[in-house]
Amino acid sequence: MDIFNQLLGGFATAATPINLLWALAGCALGTAIGVLPGLGPAVTVAMLLPITGQVEPTASMIFFAGIYYGAMYGGSTTSILLNTPGETGTMVTALEGFKMAKSGRAGAALATSAIGSFVAGTIATVLVTLFAPLLADFAVQLGPPEYFCLMLLAFTTVSAVLGQSSLRGLTALFLGLAMGLVGIDQITGQVRYTGGVLEFMDGIEVVLVAVGLFAVTEALYNALYEGRNPSTLNRMTRAHMTRTEWRRSWPAWLRGTAIGFPFGTIPAGGSEIPTFLSYATERKLAAPEHQAEFGGAGAIEGVAGPEAANNAAVTATLVPLLTLGIPTSVTAAILLSALQNYGIQAGPQLFQTSSTLVWALIASLYIGNVMLLVLNLPMVGLWVKLLRIPRAPLYAGILIFATVGVYGMRQSAFDLFLMYGLSLAGIAMRRFDFPIAPVIVGLILGPLAEAHLRNAIAIGEGSWLVFFQRPMSATLLAAVALVLITPRALAWHRRA
Amino acid sequence: MRADLSPAAEAVPGGSRTGQTLMGLAALGVAGVLAWGAAGLPSDAGYAGVGPDFLPWVVTVALAVCGALLLWEARTGGFRHMEIPSGAARGDWPAFAWVSAGVLGNAALITSIGFVLSCALCFALAVRGLRLSEGKPAGGALQAVRDAVTGIVIAAPTYWMFTKVLAVNLPGLTASGWI
Repeated sequence: MDIFNQLLGGFATAATPINLLWALAGCALGTAIGVLPGLGPAVTVAMLLPITGQVEPTASMIFFAGIYYGAMYGGSTTSILLNTPGETGTMVTALEGFKMAKSGRAGAALATSAIGSFVAGTIATVLVTLFAPLLADFAVQLGPPEYFCLMLLAFTTVSAVLGQSSLRGLTALFLGLAMGLVGIDQITGQVRYTGGVLEFMDGIEVVLVAVGLFAVTEALYNALYEGRNPSTLNRMTRAHMTRTEWRRSWPAWLRGTAIGFPFGTIPAGGSEIPTFLSYATERKLAAPEHQAEFGGAGAIEGVAGPEAANNAAVTATLVPLLTLGIPTSVTAAILLSALQNYGIQAGPQLFQTSSTLVWALIASLYIGNVMLLVLNLPMVGLWVKLLRIPRAPLYAGILIFATVGVYGMRQSAFDLFLMYGLSLAGIAMRRFDFPIAPVIVGLILGPLAEAHLRNAIAIGEGSWLVFFQRPMSATLLAAVALVLITPRALAWHRRA
Repeated sequence: MRADLSPAAEAVPGGSRTGQTLMGLAALGVAGVLAWGAAGLPSDAGYAGVGPDFLPWVVTVALAVCGALLLWEARTGGFRHMEIPSGAARGDWPAFAWVSAGVLGNAALITSIGFVLSCALCFALAVRGLRLSEGKPAGGALQAVRDAVTGIVIAAPTYWMFTKVLAVNLPGLTASGWI
């Protein structure tokens, strides 16, 4: 009953008019940037980080979380109507959704993805409500050695499992870690890698790196390579599902949720793997008479399942973020740095020290899901209009918002030059298929991991054996080894 | 598992051997800079067990290894498991130069001419480049004025919202707070 009371308290905070307004603003902005190509939730939240100087923490976290899952709702609209997915998490939706829209069933695809997102988001929020406090209670027992190993696991999965090549993923991770080293060492006060440049003393801002590598890179990359890419917009139809479509959708929603939620809670890098898994599952389980629709006219299960998986995974990323302070996606990493801006240390203590914030945030997820269902089902036509904004002013406009975020953070024109330099690196990385997510995760988690490493060794009185002597940290280390070795062993086995 | 990079594959974006070699060298270069910086750091560990130069050396060595492996992959048939990047095989460099000029001009001028004008200039230059990249005519003086006005129409309300409502500090041309 304790959880229930706290949740009620959360609703009381989240339902104040001002916080409801923040939630609505977040959901609407999230949907808009989800629909628009070129901007993702991570970079949008990053650009808005300067507002943490003024807005109080609860309101801004509600706002940012609204952007995060609003973008997932909006991203599916683009995936279905346009032949480019709005977000990576909605890439799979494009497989069947675009085909459905092409054969005149855009409305049904939009409906199943919006309702599926709602169902999955709500179920996942219930699971977060139930499990996050339990995990937090357990996590209080974890010490620096365990935290260091958890971060090591996050580093490994985000760089070695995701993406095409572990080598390029790890290169990206170490680049991020290297950037995280710049500035004053937290423990000894030693100045590192500033090269005598005053601007580097405070370190490299996360906003700058995220905006440079995502938003500015995107604009430059578009001008450089994608000017002549044709894009076709599918015709909208009324968002509506027949009885058969309902019957085919709901088991897919539930299966998608079951697949998506666990993946969100482990540091496996967000929603790409669960959405693909859900798609494969639906394809396998579809009734024989519907099999032909996959890859043909478009099967509704192939939209319903991955959409649900995506939203469940996104909601579930809040579990490790709030209870352990470990981000499992880029957006979660940026949310973590938003908390850091407030001087709030995410971790198991958060449920005690900032319980109002945590519970208001969880309550706002319930409210936000309802808002998003309304925004994306009856009002979907409004968002579709955004797709008619011509490409050139859209990307040029993004540059203006990039300036707000980067300059607004530290009032330094130097940062704007640095942002441009990073965007050049971003173009090269994108051209040669280096993932960006590990850079961001490395940059944000690097300094934390270093602090935990040193504290852990201090606990072990200077001995590295401390990592193997404690059962939890030894288990986590074994998991890291498994993550690194299994894919190679499998590949070797297949070749042999 | 070896990616087969025949001469045809060279034309694929991201398949360029020279480019891949340069990426490997860049990683090695960053490792070099890191090593140079780490060499000057004290290793005094105190109670912490490892000193402030420990992680710098770990990252240095790791990046050097990654750089060497990238270089090796690039020279022996190209990067493995490459996903072909989106877009054309050849870059549209004039378009790129216009957008770059916008971003850099903004960085150079923002403190002297203020957020609104500087961003409007950035917008006008960038939109010109992006339009060129689509193969459309960039337009004459009239179009340039129209772009600049559009830039102001976007930048000014953004400036007001962030400075007045959200109290984010952005530079103005005057002290009035409106431009």
